[in-house]
This record gives sequence, structure tokens and C-alpha cells, in this order.
Amino acid sequence: MLCVVNAQNKQLLFGFNDIPQSVLINPSTTLDNKWYVGFPLLSHIHSNAGSSGVSAYDLFADDGRDFNSKLRDVIFSLEENDFFTLNQQLDIFSGGFSYGKGIEKDNYLSFGMYLETDIIAYHPKDYTILAYEGNANNIGRIFDIGDLNATGEVVSVLHLGTTKKVNDKLTIGARGKIYSSVFNVNSTKNRGSFITQEGDNNFLEHIFDLDLSVQTSGIRSLTEDANSDVSDDIKAIRKRLLLGGNLGLGLDLGLTYQATDQLQFEASLQDFGFIRHTKDIESYSVKGKYTYEGINPIFPEVDDGQTAEEYWNEVADNFEDLFEVDSITAKYTTWRPLKLNAALRYAFGKKVSKDCNCLTKDSGYINAIGAQLYAVNRPKQPQLALTAYYYRRVFKGLRMKVTYTLDSFSYTNIGLGMSTDIGPVNFYLLADNLLDYQNLAKAQSVSLQFGLNLVFGRAH
Amino acid sequence: MLKINGKAILCTIILLISLLSCVKDVDFDQANDFSLTPALEASIVYTEVEASQFSLNGVEIEIIRDSIANIEIFEEQFVKDNLIRAEFIFEATNTIPRTFNLQVDFLNNTDELQHTVSFDALASSAGNEVVTEYIEIFEDDSLENLKLVTKMIITLTLYPSSDGSMLNENSSEKISLKSKGIFYFDIDV
Repeated sequence: MLCVVNAQNKQLLFGFNDIPQSVLINPSTTLDNKWYVGFPLLSHIHSNAGSSGVSAYDLFADDGRDFNSKLRDVIFSLEENDFFTLNQQLDIFSGGFSYGKGIEKDNYLSFGMYLETDIIAYHPKDYTILAYEGNANNIGRIFDIGDLNATGEVVSVLHLGTTKKVNDKLTIGARGKIYSSVFNVNSTKNRGSFITQEGDNNFLEHIFDLDLSVQTSGIRSLTEDANSDVSDDIKAIRKRLLLGGNLGLGLDLGLTYQATDQLQFEASLQDFGFIRHTKDIESYSVKGKYTYEGINPIFPEVDDGQTAEEYWNEVADNFEDLFEVDSITAKYTTWRPLKLNAALRYAFGKKVSKDCNCLTKDSGYINAIGAQLYAVNRPKQPQLALTAYYYRRVFKGLRMKVTYTLDSFSYTNIGLGMSTDIGPVNFYLLADNLLDYQNLAKAQSVSLQFGLNLVFGRAH
Repeated sequence: MLKINGKAILCTIILLISLLSCVKDVDFDQANDFSLTPALEASIVYTEVEASQFSLNGVEIEIIRDSIANIEIFEEQFVKDNLIRAEFIFEATNTIPRTFNLQVDFLNNTDELQHTVSFDALASSAGNEVVTEYIEIFEDDSLENLKLVTKMIITLTLYPSSDGSMLNENSSEKISLKSKGIFYFDIDV
């Protein structure tokens, strides 16, 4: 099944090179300014929440229907690949400047630090059915333990990237990243099953085959009783933000190819990287196999050996072993969600203004249309989104982009973004799923980005 | 230039207003109605006894008995709070030409009798399987009694022969027992 999605998709920001933060999506995106600096904590605020199969309205609509029957409908309509997701990004600081020999200064250096929260939880379908119905109506059904699949992290990212113009057509870019994990919870490798089926000797046999684990880092020290002082916790978190957490390395790569004056292709890979969790780890696992058919034998007078009581004690021990939670502190590695962005765009419509003293090639065009592809690697399967867009320089101080995106949340995702420049002050606001803003409860996904920068030396 | 900037600000304001969205026609208090009503089925005991084992040195064994103590499940707070009905289902299959009585006594942790289940597994004729099913339902008072149970005593009684025949150590017939419980929950969160 192809699952399309826009979680983390920044289809409005991608390629919107009037906004300095577009270079974070593709390090080869050429910013047309001499230098910029983001307002600390305000230069990029991104927030996205989504649910692929259900909206709040589906459950909580004030329609007189019984809540539990709506809940039932939701539980049974969602698939195990449906998911809930939350992604937030906050620039702590950012900046950049052009450099190079000669007047043109073909290269651009950008840097900064941001804090990212990323959570994805798949719908634990078989668990919810077991909780909702029990096993009585599901004799013979295999309950998949792997349906429990969720991961979440808070990570601070320090980055430095460069954009280099190779020739008139090709621009390449790369960005190195150091990740410092503040928190991580990871439970994505659960396996096994639970079945109740007709038994050979008794009505039923219950087969447990469990292999569950959850790994955490950065949480144990904060929940320990010995450390109940909140101000200590805040100090610990602040330290982790500044490279004091579990560390990792990452790389973004990008290229932009200007095929003709009007036709351009660009592509990038983001967050090709990992985090090695070595500190403050606490992990739990439940592993074991056991088949239970009932208590047997009974009546020791007529059978050899065990009494029912002895047998029962053994059964109780076996269940205890089966569900025993092992606590481990093994180091582990998580991979960051790798993202791919690609775009093909066509610029058209000569600018009529006479006061243009532009140097860059495409500055003569005020419109662009294009198609974008977005993909992100997720625990169960990659997720994709397709976007068509129209971009226009409305006038010198206002640039707009309208997008239409196909994703797993909806087929009616219209987005609108604008970037305004008032003197050196650049303000941008990007929002998608605009049609749903009339009633947010019906929205399966909303995403909002805005930011404030100081930009100097714009070419046009 | 001023005019342009004014427009930019205006556009910003308009866009911001259009984004001042609302959440309509929903009632989140409905979550208070949330309840789960699973029915869980679990095996209890099973056994198979050959007729020959009811004979020892030419004398019939009339009563055999076994017990299970340390049953903690009914004492769990979760079960006390949420179990609303239970059914115990027994099935005896008898090829022995004799009638048996099966009795299960449920005791609390001070060995006080809370409940008794008793039924007869009818005699077979000519070695044919005679299946006797028995269902005991626990509701209201009997369910409250069940929630105190920590021990079960299972007793199999061989009724005297009607024709004077005796089981001996060469008897090849057998009696088997299967059982399961169905537990109905209503969980309000």
C-alpha cells in the first residue's frame, strides 16, 4: 500500500528562496541576499500535527450519536499503518552570508541551531481490538504484537552549510549537522503474536509469542526520585540543548540544475544521520513464548506426579516469566528520518518594472509553476507527498506561493505562503490545509510556519 | 514605496485573520462516556481419566479430589472494579458405563465456601461418548462471591453401580473434562 503524507513536509518553504530558511531544506538553494540574520527564537517556528485516518470531528462531533459507537467505527476503520504525528521546529538562532572571489560572490554560508520535536505513533490496531472486544469473539485471530510502533524525540541541531555555484547551470550544497538528543523514546521493533484458538485437549489454547521492547534515553535521570528538583532538571535539559545530550552526526546534500533560463530542477536529501544513545539510558523488554491450555492434570490419586496445585503454581510462574519486564541499559543507535525533496519548476512572465537592477538570471520572471515530490523514511514505511504550486512576486515587498498537495491526510490540501519585506525585515507565514481552517476539528492535519529575519543586500 | 509596504502589511493582516480559525460542532465532553466492554475467554482445567484408575486392588475409588490455591486473579482491583459477569463452561465426555458427579467448590482465603458448581456426567452405554455440557453463570451476588475466591476444590464422585458391575484395572473406558471461563468487563475510564 502506498501511503502518502505530509508530516514534516514543508512544501511551501521548499524552493521559496526569498525566505532564508529555505536553504535548510535544500543546501543548494540560492539565497539572493548578501547576508541575513534570524531574530533569535523567532526566525523559524514550524508546527505540524496530523492523523492519517481520523479527525477530531469523527470522534467528537456533537451529532447525538453514541460516543462509543463512534469510537468503535474509528477503531475498526483505521488500519495498522495509520498514524498520528507531531513535528515542531524552532530556530534558536540562524544566519548566513555570501562569500567568494570577485563581485558575484557565488558561494553562500549558512549556519544556526534549531530544536526539533518529532513524534510518530502508528495506530496499535490489534491492541485496540483486543481492548475493545477481547479475545472471546476473536477465536483464531492472530493479534499482531508489532502493531505497537511509536517513536518520539526532542533533539537540538547545530548546523553549518555551504552553497557553491559550480558553473552557470549547476549549484551544489551540503550541510553538516551535530545532533544533541534531549529525549528519545523508541519502540519500533516489536514482534510476535497472541492467539486464542481451539485446543487439542481443552476448549481453547492460548499461544503467547512476545518480543517487545522500548528504549529511552534522557528520561531516567529526570524521573529518578533522587532528582526531584525541577531547577536541576531544567539545568540538565539546557546542557543537553548545547551539545550535552546523546550526540549524533548528520548531513544534508543538495543540487540545483538550471537547465535553461526558465527551467530548473532541484533535489535534496535531509538528515542523513544518526544519534548514538550512550548516556542516561533506560530500556525495557518483554520476551518469551508460552502456550497455555489449562490446568492439567487434576486428581493426583489417579495420575502420576503433580497435583493441580503444583501445576497451577507452575503455570503462574510461567506467566510471571513471560510477562517479566527486563530492564536493560544497553547503548543504542537511532537514525534520523531521512527526507527527500525534489522539484521541477518553470519560470515565466517578464517583470515589467524598470527599476530592476538584477544580477541573477531568473530575476526577470515574476511567476513560476512547479511540481514537488517529498518522501520521508518512517518506522513502518516511507511516506510520500506530491505538490503542484504557483509562485508569484506580487510586488517588491511581497512574494506568494500557493500549493496543492496530495497526501494521506487529504486530497484537498491547499496551502498558502507569503514572504514580506519591509526594509530589511523579512516576515513570512506559511500554512497548509487552509480549507480545513473553517473548522479545525475536521482537519486531519494542520501545519503552520512563520518567522522573522533581517535580510540585507537583496538582489531584487 | 510607502504605499507598497502598506499593502504588504494589509495582506499580512488579512491572511492572519483568515487563519483565525475555529473549532465547531464538537463536544469533547463525550470522552467521559468512554467505555470498553471486552469479553475474555480463558482455559481453566482439563483432564482425562481412564476407568481403570478408579480401581485399586479390586476396590473402587469413589471420590477423587484436587484443589487449586493461590488464585489471585479475582482479587485484582481491576477485576473487582470492572468484571460484570462471568460464565464457566464445563464439558464432560464419558465412555464409562457409570455416572459421575463433578463438583467445584469456590473458597475464599479463610476457606469459607463462596459458591458451588455441581453436575452429573451421565453414564455411557456400549462405550459411546456421552457429552454433558454445563454452564454456570456468575452475576450480581454470585459474581460478588466469585470476586472473593482464592481457592477451588474439584471433586469427582463415582456413583454406585446400578447393576452391581465394578470398574476394574482392565477397564479401558474413560471420562474427560474440558472447561473455560468467559469474563465480561465494562471498563469506564
